Amino acid sequence: MYAYKTGISHIDDQKGGLEAGTNILILAPALSRGEQLGYALTKPLPGEYSVILSTSMRSAELLEFFSGNGINRDFIGIIDTVTKLSTPEITDSMQVKYVASPSDLTGVGIKFSSLMESIFNGDFRGSEEGLFPPPVRFYLDSVTTMLMYRKLEVLYQFLHVLTSKLKKMDGLGIYILNSESFDERTISLMKQLMNVVIEVKSEPHGDFFRIRGIKGASQEWMQFHVSEGTLEVRI
Amino acid sequence: MIRTGIAGIDEMLGSGIPRGTRVLYSMEPGVDGRLFMMSTLEAALSMGRRCLVVVPTSTSGAFKCELLEVKGLSLESRKDSVTIIDIASRDDINRREKGIRNRRTAWKTLLREIVERDRIEVIFAYFDLLYEDLGLEAALEALSLPEITTVVENLNLEGEDLITRFSSAGMFDMIISMRSGFSLVPIFSFFTIEHVAWAEIPRRSIPYISEDHHLRLYIPKIIVTGPPSSGKSTFVANASDRGISVDRGDLDGFRTTVAMDLGWLHFKGFDITIYGTPGQPRFDPIIPQLVKHAMGIILVIDSTRPDTLDRARELLELAFAARLPLVVVANKSDLPHEMNEQQIRMNLKLREDVPVFFMSATKRSDVHFVVESMVDRITRHSF
Repeated sequence: MYAYKTGISHIDDQKGGLEAGTNILILAPALSRGEQLGYALTKPLPGEYSVILSTSMRSAELLEFFSGNGINRDFIGIIDTVTKLSTPEITDSMQVKYVASPSDLTGVGIKFSSLMESIFNGDFRGSEEGLFPPPVRFYLDSVTTMLMYRKLEVLYQFLHVLTSKLKKMDGLGIYILNSESFDERTISLMKQLMNVVIEVKSEPHGDFFRIRGIKGASQEWMQFHVSEGTLEVRI
Repeated sequence: MIRTGIAGIDEMLGSGIPRGTRVLYSMEPGVDGRLFMMSTLEAALSMGRRCLVVVPTSTSGAFKCELLEVKGLSLESRKDSVTIIDIASRDDINRREKGIRNRRTAWKTLLREIVERDRIEVIFAYFDLLYEDLGLEAALEALSLPEITTVVENLNLEGEDLITRFSSAGMFDMIISMRSGFSLVPIFSFFTIEHVAWAEIPRRSIPYISEDHHLRLYIPKIIVTGPPSSGKSTFVANASDRGISVDRGDLDGFRTTVAMDLGWLHFKGFDITIYGTPGQPRFDPIIPQLVKHAMGIILVIDSTRPDTLDRARELLELAFAARLPLVVVANKSDLPHEMNEQQIRMNLKLREDVPVFFMSATKRSDVHFVVESMVDRITRHSF
């Protein structure tokens, strides 16, 4: 089975990476580097693809961010739920799909299927014959925004469908939630959908994470830094 | 009365959607069924109906652009016939009214006022957010106004249970659900007519594709198989609007299919692809591959050659016919023959529901009758 490298040595070296079908919840406070950690984990390695569901950044900004950080955009698909609110006439391209708003779960589901179909068909620019199913990293940035638009129960059902699909297609799902804005019940429900939880905290001398849910892996806090889209962990 | 605007469904319904009824298009997450409601909206507008669109997840500008992109339908020239309630109205109600009761009342009042003011005849509503905001019954009640036809699109996150509930409680007069034939990615989508209150229509599932702003009912593969020289290639050729055949001269001087026959036809609203298999045993290893993802099997036998029935039985096994809709064609029945239906059924161990047609594959009308029967069986089959 395929294993997704993370840039975290005690997962990559000891475990060979994250098992295909893993869904990770990043619990991060506001103004921490949790979001960047999510993007670092989403970065496609050679032979992989990434799909990002963005609820706060426009796809144009995201593509600029990838270019600025030396990330190959050819293997990245984006579901943009932001741009259409102000630019309704914008139309889909092969790799960027637009949805009317983060509340439009019908549109999100359709565009997710459409991007996955393109990846499976090898339609992305620069696609080459590789593994089947092709390894796909999916990042929902962020669950926090989605919860502002839809009720917890509804979003839970929707994410249940999404996480199950990623499991079936041997993908890697990454979801970020602001740990300070929601009650225990919300966080506990979201955790139920995941195999792995990464908690993030910000200290005056840096940002730290700890990982739960990987058998035999350390659960200690580790300092991290994201530079040019790449994760650096200090042990 | 309005039409659904979807070729195939309108034919099945006969008379269209009666005035004052409630229609539900229910979509499984990830399945693109947007064209269903958009087609009905287009049909209503083309019949001169005044329509209200309730789209709480989108701005009216984004909705109009999506309608143009997906359906090719521009509302610019129909401004007088369409009113849109969009995300701004929902935000306004949610900002003004804090309790659910007040929100229900506010929605009801808003809808009534617009229906009266603009003399609305049909309401089209994107339902799941209203359902979430107001609750199921209250959302439906708000949309139900006397003499007004209501067409609703809903993202179904609750699965079969919700459809059953909608159906058994009589909440909708027609329910059409859209699902996906999923492996890893959707290989095809299909819709099911779950319930129609005003007509007796059996529950049917029909694959479809969205193409060039239209829904096309689609049967990706029907297999035609049978012993050598039974008339498969003739059948495929006469069934198809266009096609190709890979025939070669055999050692005994007859022509034989060496790979497959391939035919395409547009029939009763369906786009159909027909694959004819070779009949010679030396091609048996490729038959299981050819029948992969087939939706139905047509077995062609030569009614003048009872000695080929053993080979026909072998081919049925190779094609996994037991789990698919099956039709048997006793070909060349215009020639002197002794085989009767009983004999064929016994030798081939046919299920009771499998029809046996005595016919000639050289007659296009006979062939189309068989294809029609096959399509009927496929749409009734639970895959």
